[in-house]
Amino acid sequence: MAKARALDRRRKSVRNIRKITRTMELIATARFKKAMDRSVAARDYTKHLAKILENIAAVGADVAHPLLEIRPTTRTAVLVLTGNRGLCGGYNGNVVRQSLALLGQWRSEQVATHVAVSGKRGISALRFREITIDETYTTFEDKPEFAAVAPIGQAYLQAYASGAIDRLDVAYTRFESIAKQEAVTETLLPLAAPEAAGETATKAASDEYDFYPSAASILEEILPASFMARLFKCFLDAAVSEQVARMVAMKAATENAGGLIKSLSRQYNRARQSQITGEIMEILGGVEALKK
Amino acid sequence: MQTSRGGRGIQCVVVTPETTVFDMTAEFVSLPLYDGQRGVGLGHAAFIGRLGAGEVRVTSKQAGTPAARFFVQGGFVEVAHDTVTVITQRAIAADAVDGQDARRELEQVQSTKAVGEEAIEARLAAADAARALARTASRSR
Repeated sequence: MAKARALDRRRKSVRNIRKITRTMELIATARFKKAMDRSVAARDYTKHLAKILENIAAVGADVAHPLLEIRPTTRTAVLVLTGNRGLCGGYNGNVVRQSLALLGQWRSEQVATHVAVSGKRGISALRFREITIDETYTTFEDKPEFAAVAPIGQAYLQAYASGAIDRLDVAYTRFESIAKQEAVTETLLPLAAPEAAGETATKAASDEYDFYPSAASILEEILPASFMARLFKCFLDAAVSEQVARMVAMKAATENAGGLIKSLSRQYNRARQSQITGEIMEILGGVEALKK
Repeated sequence: MQTSRGGRGIQCVVVTPETTVFDMTAEFVSLPLYDGQRGVGLGHAAFIGRLGAGEVRVTSKQAGTPAARFFVQGGFVEVAHDTVTVITQRAIAADAVDGQDARRELEQVQSTKAVGEEAIEARLAAADAARALARTASRSR
Protein backbone atom coordinates (compact mmCIF):
# COMPACT_ATOMS: atom_id res chain seq x y z
CA MET A 1 0.00 0.00 0.00
CA ALA A 2 2.96 2.28 0.77
CA LYS A 3 3.82 2.89 -2.88
CA ALA A 4 0.27 3.57 -3.99
CA ARG A 5 -0.29 5.99 -1.16
CA ALA A 6 2.91 7.89 -1.95
CA LEU A 7 1.85 8.14 -5.58
CA ASP A 8 -1.56 9.43 -4.54
CA ARG A 9 0.02 12.07 -2.34
CA ARG A 10 2.22 13.23 -5.18
CA ARG A 11 -0.72 13.37 -7.52
CA LYS A 12 -2.59 15.57 -5.06
CA SER A 13 0.32 18.01 -4.79
CA VAL A 14 0.67 18.20 -8.57
CA ARG A 15 -3.05 18.94 -8.78
CA ASN A 16 -2.59 21.83 -6.38
CA ILE A 17 0.30 23.16 -8.41
CA ARG A 18 -1.81 22.94 -11.54
CA LYS A 19 -4.51 24.99 -9.86
CA ILE A 20 -1.97 27.68 -9.02
CA THR A 21 -0.36 27.80 -12.47
CA ARG A 22 -3.80 27.88 -14.12
CA THR A 23 -4.78 30.84 -11.95
CA MET A 24 -1.52 32.60 -12.70
CA GLU A 25 -2.12 32.06 -16.40
CA LEU A 26 -5.57 33.63 -16.15
CA ILE A 27 -4.26 36.59 -14.16
CA ALA A 28 -1.43 37.11 -16.64
CA THR A 29 -3.93 37.01 -19.51
CA ALA A 30 -6.09 39.69 -17.89
CA ARG A 31 -3.05 41.84 -17.10
CA PHE A 32 -1.70 41.37 -20.58
CA LYS A 33 -4.93 42.67 -22.10
CA LYS A 34 -4.84 45.74 -19.89
CA ALA A 35 -1.15 46.40 -20.53
CA MET A 36 -1.73 45.93 -24.26
CA ASP A 37 -4.59 48.45 -24.25
CA ARG A 38 -2.33 50.99 -22.53
CA SER A 39 0.42 50.32 -25.00
CA VAL A 40 -1.93 50.81 -27.95
CA ALA A 41 -3.34 54.01 -26.42
CA ALA A 42 0.18 55.37 -26.03
CA ARG A 43 0.97 54.91 -29.71
CA ASP A 44 -1.05 57.95 -30.78
CA TYR A 45 1.27 60.29 -28.92
CA THR A 46 4.40 58.91 -30.57
CA LYS A 47 2.68 58.93 -33.94
CA HIS A 48 1.72 62.60 -33.68
CA LEU A 49 5.15 63.59 -32.38
CA ALA A 50 6.78 61.79 -35.29
CA LYS A 51 4.47 63.61 -37.70
CA ILE A 52 5.48 67.01 -36.36
CA LEU A 53 9.14 66.02 -36.48
CA GLU A 54 8.70 64.99 -40.10
CA ASN A 55 7.10 68.31 -40.92
CA ILE A 56 9.94 70.21 -39.29
CA ALA A 57 12.50 68.16 -41.19
CA ALA A 58 10.49 68.72 -44.39
CA VAL A 59 10.72 72.50 -44.18
CA GLY A 60 14.45 72.05 -44.05
CA ALA A 61 14.97 73.48 -40.61
CA ASP A 62 18.43 73.19 -39.26
CA VAL A 63 18.24 69.97 -37.27
CA ALA A 64 21.24 70.49 -35.05
CA HIS A 65 20.54 69.83 -31.41
CA PRO A 66 22.73 68.60 -28.54
CA LEU A 67 20.51 65.51 -28.23
CA LEU A 68 21.25 64.55 -31.84
CA GLU A 69 24.98 65.05 -31.83
CA ILE A 70 27.09 61.92 -31.58
CA ARG A 71 29.96 62.29 -29.16
CA PRO A 72 32.80 59.89 -28.48
CA THR A 73 31.64 57.63 -25.69
CA THR A 74 33.65 58.02 -22.52
CA ARG A 75 30.87 57.61 -20.00
CA THR A 76 27.73 55.70 -20.77
CA ALA A 77 24.49 54.83 -19.01
CA VAL A 78 22.74 51.48 -19.19
CA LEU A 79 19.14 50.97 -18.12
CA VAL A 80 17.97 47.40 -17.66
CA LEU A 81 14.23 46.69 -17.52
CA THR A 82 13.29 43.39 -15.89
CA GLY A 83 10.32 42.17 -13.87
CA ASN A 84 9.84 42.15 -10.12
CA ARG A 85 8.69 38.55 -10.24
CA GLY A 86 9.82 35.29 -11.73
CA LEU A 87 7.77 32.40 -13.10
CA CYS A 88 7.75 33.91 -16.55
CA GLY A 89 10.04 31.63 -18.52
CA GLY A 90 13.13 33.20 -20.02
CA TYR A 91 11.86 36.77 -19.77
CA ASN A 92 14.21 38.04 -17.05
CA GLY A 93 17.11 35.80 -18.03
CA ASN A 94 17.15 37.03 -21.61
CA VAL A 95 17.23 40.70 -20.63
CA VAL A 96 19.95 40.07 -18.03
CA ARG A 97 22.02 38.20 -20.63
CA GLN A 98 21.53 41.05 -23.07
CA SER A 99 22.67 43.62 -20.52
CA LEU A 100 25.67 41.51 -19.46
CA ALA A 101 26.86 41.36 -23.05
CA LEU A 102 26.58 45.13 -23.30
CA LEU A 103 28.30 45.77 -19.97
CA GLY A 104 31.07 43.35 -20.93
CA GLN A 105 31.59 45.23 -24.16
CA TRP A 106 31.84 48.59 -22.37
CA ARG A 107 34.21 47.10 -19.84
CA SER A 108 36.51 45.78 -22.55
CA GLU A 109 36.51 49.23 -24.15
CA GLN A 110 37.22 50.74 -20.71
CA VAL A 111 34.19 52.98 -20.76
CA ALA A 112 32.78 54.07 -17.41
CA THR A 113 29.20 52.89 -17.01
CA HIS A 114 26.28 54.09 -14.94
CA VAL A 115 23.98 51.12 -14.40
CA ALA A 116 20.30 51.49 -13.51
CA VAL A 117 18.09 48.45 -13.10
CA SER A 118 14.33 48.21 -12.81
CA GLY A 119 12.87 45.02 -11.34
CA LYS A 120 13.93 42.85 -8.41
CA ARG A 121 14.89 39.95 -10.66
CA GLY A 122 17.39 41.97 -12.65
CA ILE A 123 18.79 43.60 -9.53
CA SER A 124 19.54 40.29 -7.83
CA ALA A 125 20.86 38.69 -11.04
CA LEU A 126 23.31 41.55 -11.71
CA ARG A 127 24.35 41.76 -8.04
CA PHE A 128 25.09 38.03 -8.14
CA ARG A 129 27.46 38.70 -11.02
CA GLU A 130 29.09 41.43 -8.94
CA ILE A 131 28.08 44.36 -11.08
CA THR A 132 27.84 47.69 -9.31
CA ILE A 133 24.34 49.04 -9.69
CA ASP A 134 24.02 52.81 -9.34
CA GLU A 135 20.25 53.07 -9.36
CA THR A 136 17.44 50.61 -8.70
CA TYR A 137 13.70 50.86 -9.31
CA THR A 138 11.22 48.30 -8.04
CA THR A 139 7.97 50.21 -8.42
CA PHE A 140 7.24 49.40 -12.06
CA GLU A 141 4.75 46.58 -12.40
CA ASP A 142 2.27 45.86 -15.14
CA LYS A 143 1.08 49.47 -15.38
CA PRO A 144 4.02 51.84 -15.70
CA GLU A 145 2.83 55.43 -15.45
CA PHE A 146 4.26 58.30 -17.43
CA ALA A 147 4.46 60.43 -14.29
CA ALA A 148 6.77 57.80 -12.76
CA VAL A 149 8.92 57.38 -15.87
CA ALA A 150 9.28 61.13 -16.53
CA PRO A 151 11.68 61.91 -13.62
CA ILE A 152 13.99 59.08 -14.75
CA GLY A 153 13.98 60.45 -18.29
CA GLN A 154 14.54 64.00 -17.02
CA ALA A 155 17.56 62.83 -15.02
CA TYR A 156 19.05 61.16 -18.10
CA LEU A 157 18.44 64.25 -20.23
CA GLN A 158 20.15 66.42 -17.64
CA ALA A 159 23.09 64.05 -17.32
CA TYR A 160 23.40 63.99 -21.11
CA ALA A 161 23.22 67.78 -21.39
CA SER A 162 25.82 68.29 -18.68
CA GLY A 163 28.14 65.72 -20.25
CA ALA A 164 27.91 63.25 -17.36
CA ILE A 165 26.91 60.59 -19.89
CA ASP A 166 27.56 60.39 -23.62
CA ARG A 167 25.15 57.63 -24.42
CA LEU A 168 22.14 55.79 -23.03
CA ASP A 169 21.31 52.19 -23.84
CA VAL A 170 18.20 50.42 -22.65
CA ALA A 171 18.11 46.63 -22.39
CA TYR A 172 14.49 45.47 -22.40
CA THR A 173 12.12 43.07 -24.08
CA ARG A 174 10.60 44.57 -27.20
CA PHE A 175 7.04 43.56 -27.90
CA GLU A 176 6.57 42.90 -31.59
CA SER A 177 3.51 40.74 -31.56
CA ILE A 178 1.83 38.33 -29.19
CA ALA A 179 3.91 35.56 -30.74
CA LYS A 180 7.22 37.44 -30.77
CA GLN A 181 9.00 39.35 -28.05
CA GLU A 182 12.69 39.89 -28.19
CA ALA A 183 15.25 40.98 -25.64
CA VAL A 184 17.04 43.91 -27.28
CA THR A 185 19.40 46.75 -26.52
CA GLU A 186 18.27 50.08 -27.86
CA THR A 187 20.26 53.30 -27.94
CA LEU A 188 18.00 56.16 -26.83
CA LEU A 189 20.66 58.86 -26.52
CA PRO A 190 21.94 60.37 -28.75
CA LEU A 191 18.58 60.44 -30.52
CA ALA A 192 18.24 59.34 -34.11
CA ALA A 193 17.84 62.39 -36.36
CA PRO A 194 14.34 63.00 -37.69
CA GLU A 195 13.94 62.06 -41.30
CA ALA A 196 11.75 63.60 -43.91
CA ALA A 197 11.70 60.86 -46.46
CA GLY A 198 9.65 59.98 -49.51
CA GLU A 199 6.04 60.69 -50.10
CA THR A 200 5.09 61.82 -46.59
CA ALA A 201 7.70 64.53 -46.68
CA THR A 202 6.59 66.07 -49.93
CA LYS A 203 2.98 65.93 -48.81
CA ALA A 204 3.83 67.55 -45.49
CA ALA A 205 5.88 70.26 -47.12
CA SER A 206 3.01 71.20 -49.37
CA ASP A 207 0.94 71.91 -46.28
CA GLU A 208 3.05 74.99 -45.67
CA TYR A 209 2.97 75.01 -41.93
CA ASP A 210 3.58 78.15 -39.96
CA PHE A 211 5.67 77.61 -36.87
CA TYR A 212 5.13 79.42 -33.60
CA PRO A 213 7.59 80.62 -32.43
CA SER A 214 9.93 78.94 -34.97
CA ALA A 215 10.76 75.51 -36.32
CA ALA A 216 14.06 75.50 -34.45
CA SER A 217 12.42 76.38 -31.14
CA ILE A 218 9.79 73.67 -31.58
CA LEU A 219 12.50 71.17 -32.44
CA GLU A 220 14.31 72.10 -29.26
CA GLU A 221 11.20 71.23 -27.26
CA ILE A 222 10.04 68.26 -29.25
CA LEU A 223 13.26 66.25 -29.10
CA PRO A 224 13.19 65.81 -25.31
CA ALA A 225 9.48 64.97 -25.60
CA SER A 226 10.18 62.35 -28.22
CA PHE A 227 12.97 60.91 -26.08
CA MET A 228 10.52 60.68 -23.17
CA ALA A 229 7.96 58.97 -25.38
CA ARG A 230 10.53 56.42 -26.51
CA LEU A 231 11.67 55.74 -22.97
CA PHE A 232 8.06 55.35 -21.87
CA LYS A 233 7.46 52.95 -24.73
CA CYS A 234 10.36 50.80 -23.49
CA PHE A 235 8.69 50.54 -20.10
CA LEU A 236 5.31 49.75 -21.67
CA ASP A 237 6.81 47.13 -23.97
CA ALA A 238 8.64 45.51 -21.06
CA ALA A 239 5.40 45.36 -19.06
CA VAL A 240 3.42 43.82 -21.92
CA SER A 241 6.19 41.33 -22.73
CA GLU A 242 6.43 40.23 -19.11
CA GLN A 243 2.75 39.37 -19.01
CA VAL A 244 2.93 37.51 -22.32
CA ALA A 245 5.98 35.57 -21.11
CA ARG A 246 4.21 34.67 -17.87
CA MET A 247 1.08 33.69 -19.75
CA VAL A 248 3.00 31.35 -22.04
CA ALA A 249 5.14 29.91 -19.23
CA MET A 250 2.13 29.25 -17.02
CA LYS A 251 0.17 27.71 -19.88
CA ALA A 252 3.04 25.29 -20.49
CA ALA A 253 3.28 24.57 -16.76
CA THR A 254 -0.45 23.83 -16.57
CA GLU A 255 -0.22 21.48 -19.51
CA ASN A 256 2.82 19.74 -18.03
CA ALA A 257 1.02 19.29 -14.73
CA GLY A 258 -1.90 17.74 -16.62
CA GLY A 259 0.44 15.25 -18.27
CA LEU A 260 2.13 14.45 -14.99
CA ILE A 261 -1.22 13.82 -13.29
CA LYS A 262 -2.17 11.45 -16.07
CA SER A 263 1.00 9.38 -15.80
CA LEU A 264 0.88 9.42 -11.97
CA SER A 265 -2.73 8.22 -12.10
CA ARG A 266 -1.73 5.39 -14.37
CA GLN A 267 1.11 4.38 -12.05
CA TYR A 268 -1.17 4.68 -9.03
CA ASN A 269 -3.88 2.49 -10.59
CA ARG A 270 -1.32 -0.11 -11.60
CA ALA A 271 0.17 -0.16 -8.10
CA ARG A 272 -3.29 -0.46 -6.55
CA GLN A 273 -4.31 -3.23 -8.94
CA SER A 274 -1.16 -5.27 -8.31
CA GLN A 275 -1.67 -4.83 -4.58
CA ILE A 276 -5.28 -6.15 -4.84
CA THR A 277 -4.10 -9.06 -6.97
CA GLY A 278 -1.47 -9.83 -4.34
CA GLU A 279 -4.07 -9.77 -1.59
CA ILE A 280 -6.42 -12.12 -3.52
CA MET A 281 -3.55 -14.50 -4.12
CA GLU A 282 -2.81 -14.46 -0.42
CA ILE A 283 -6.46 -15.27 0.44
CA LEU A 284 -6.60 -18.04 -2.15
CA GLY A 285 -3.39 -19.45 -0.79
CA GLY A 286 -4.90 -19.40 2.71
CA VAL A 287 -8.06 -21.19 1.52
CA GLU A 288 -6.01 -23.84 -0.26
CA ALA A 289 -3.97 -24.39 2.92
CA LEU A 290 -7.15 -24.79 5.06
CA LYS A 291 -8.62 -27.36 2.60
CA LYS A 292 -5.73 -29.72 3.18
CA MET B 1 -5.50 78.23 -47.77
CA GLN B 2 -8.08 75.70 -46.87
CA THR B 3 -11.73 76.49 -47.07
CA SER B 4 -14.35 75.32 -44.63
CA ARG B 5 -15.94 72.13 -45.73
CA GLY B 6 -19.68 72.53 -45.85
CA GLY B 7 -20.74 72.77 -42.21
CA ARG B 8 -18.22 70.28 -40.91
CA GLY B 9 -16.60 71.06 -37.60
CA ILE B 10 -13.04 70.94 -36.37
CA GLN B 11 -11.79 67.58 -35.23
CA CYS B 12 -10.13 68.24 -31.89
CA VAL B 13 -7.83 65.60 -30.40
CA VAL B 14 -5.89 65.83 -27.14
CA VAL B 15 -3.23 63.16 -26.64
CA THR B 16 -0.89 62.48 -23.73
CA PRO B 17 1.88 59.85 -23.58
CA GLU B 18 -0.54 57.51 -21.83
CA THR B 19 -3.74 57.90 -23.78
CA THR B 20 -6.00 59.97 -26.01
CA VAL B 21 -7.81 62.18 -23.53
CA PHE B 22 -10.28 63.81 -25.87
CA ASP B 23 -11.46 63.30 -29.42
CA MET B 24 -14.49 65.21 -30.66
CA THR B 25 -15.86 67.53 -33.31
CA ALA B 26 -15.90 71.15 -32.25
CA GLU B 27 -16.79 74.53 -33.62
CA PHE B 28 -14.04 76.55 -32.03
CA VAL B 29 -10.91 75.70 -30.06
CA SER B 30 -8.97 78.08 -27.88
CA LEU B 31 -5.35 77.09 -27.29
CA PRO B 32 -2.80 78.30 -24.75
CA LEU B 33 0.22 78.94 -26.96
CA TYR B 34 3.54 79.84 -25.36
CA ASP B 35 2.77 83.56 -25.66
CA GLY B 36 -0.97 83.64 -25.06
CA GLN B 37 -4.35 82.20 -26.01
CA ARG B 38 -5.02 81.63 -29.68
CA GLY B 39 -8.34 80.76 -31.19
CA VAL B 40 -8.81 78.31 -34.03
CA GLY B 41 -11.96 78.30 -36.06
CA LEU B 42 -13.01 76.47 -39.19
CA GLY B 43 -10.62 76.85 -42.13
CA HIS B 44 -7.70 78.06 -40.07
CA ALA B 45 -4.31 78.09 -41.77
CA ALA B 46 -2.02 75.17 -40.96
CA PHE B 47 0.43 75.76 -38.17
CA ILE B 48 2.50 74.00 -35.55
CA GLY B 49 2.89 75.78 -32.27
CA ARG B 50 4.44 75.37 -28.89
CA LEU B 51 2.04 75.34 -25.98
CA GLY B 52 2.49 76.99 -22.64
CA ALA B 53 0.60 76.15 -19.48
CA GLY B 54 -3.08 77.00 -19.57
CA GLU B 55 -6.51 76.03 -20.65
CA VAL B 56 -7.66 74.37 -23.85
CA ARG B 57 -11.29 75.32 -24.42
CA VAL B 58 -13.31 73.38 -26.92
CA THR B 59 -16.67 74.84 -27.91
CA SER B 60 -18.97 72.17 -29.18
CA LYS B 61 -20.97 72.37 -32.35
CA GLN B 62 -24.25 71.34 -30.83
CA ALA B 63 -26.03 74.16 -29.08
CA GLY B 64 -26.55 73.68 -25.38
CA THR B 65 -23.52 71.48 -24.77
CA PRO B 66 -21.06 73.17 -22.44
CA ALA B 67 -17.52 73.73 -23.65
CA ALA B 68 -14.96 71.08 -22.73
CA ARG B 69 -12.02 72.52 -20.80
CA PHE B 70 -8.63 71.02 -20.14
CA PHE B 71 -5.57 72.18 -18.32
CA VAL B 72 -2.45 71.40 -20.32
CA GLN B 73 1.16 72.02 -19.42
CA GLY B 74 3.57 72.39 -22.28
CA GLY B 75 3.55 70.39 -25.46
CA PHE B 76 2.61 71.17 -29.03
CA VAL B 77 -0.35 71.77 -31.23
CA GLU B 78 -0.73 70.93 -34.86
CA VAL B 79 -3.50 72.58 -36.85
CA ALA B 80 -4.15 71.39 -40.39
CA HIS B 81 -7.17 70.52 -42.52
CA ASP B 82 -9.62 71.47 -39.77
CA THR B 83 -7.96 69.12 -37.34
CA VAL B 84 -6.49 70.36 -34.09
CA THR B 85 -4.10 67.92 -32.43
CA VAL B 86 -2.87 68.86 -28.97
CA ILE B 87 0.15 66.83 -27.91
CA THR B 88 1.02 67.34 -24.28
CA GLN B 89 2.63 65.51 -21.41
CA ARG B 90 0.02 66.64 -18.95
CA ALA B 91 -3.68 67.14 -19.62
CA ILE B 92 -6.27 67.29 -16.87
CA ALA B 93 -9.99 67.91 -17.31
CA ALA B 94 -10.65 71.33 -15.77
CA ASP B 95 -13.30 69.91 -13.42
CA ALA B 96 -10.75 67.52 -11.97
CA VAL B 97 -8.28 70.27 -11.08
CA ASP B 98 -8.08 70.85 -7.34
CA GLY B 99 -7.58 74.53 -6.49
CA GLN B 100 -5.97 73.83 -3.14
CA ASP B 101 -3.50 71.43 -4.70
CA ALA B 102 -2.64 74.05 -7.30
CA ARG B 103 -2.00 76.71 -4.66
CA ARG B 104 0.09 74.26 -2.65
CA GLU B 105 2.09 73.50 -5.76
CA LEU B 106 2.65 77.21 -6.35
CA GLU B 107 3.78 77.77 -2.74
CA GLN B 108 6.14 74.84 -3.00
CA VAL B 109 7.65 76.14 -6.23
CA GLN B 110 8.01 79.62 -4.77
CA SER B 111 9.72 78.33 -1.64
CA THR B 112 12.40 76.42 -3.57
CA LYS B 113 15.63 78.22 -4.25
CA ALA B 114 17.00 78.24 -7.78
CA VAL B 115 20.63 78.81 -8.50
CA GLY B 116 21.94 79.26 -12.03
CA GLU B 117 20.24 80.43 -15.16
CA GLU B 118 18.64 77.14 -16.14
CA ALA B 119 17.30 76.44 -12.67
CA ILE B 120 15.80 79.92 -12.46
CA GLU B 121 14.12 79.47 -15.81
CA ALA B 122 12.75 76.09 -14.79
CA ARG B 123 11.46 77.60 -11.55
CA LEU B 124 9.74 80.44 -13.38
CA ALA B 125 8.13 77.98 -15.79
CA ALA B 126 6.97 75.79 -12.90
CA ALA B 127 5.52 78.83 -11.12
CA ASP B 128 3.72 79.90 -14.30
CA ALA B 129 2.28 76.42 -14.69
CA ALA B 130 1.12 76.34 -11.07
CA ARG B 131 -0.50 79.76 -11.48
CA ALA B 132 -2.26 78.66 -14.65
CA LEU B 133 -3.47 75.55 -12.84
CA ALA B 134 -4.86 77.64 -10.00
CA ARG B 135 -6.56 79.92 -12.52
CA THR B 136 -8.18 76.94 -14.23
CA ALA B 137 -9.38 75.69 -10.87
CA SER B 138 -10.90 79.04 -9.93
CA ARG B 139 -12.75 79.21 -13.25
CA SER B 140 -14.22 75.74 -12.70
CA ARG B 141 -15.98 76.80 -9.53
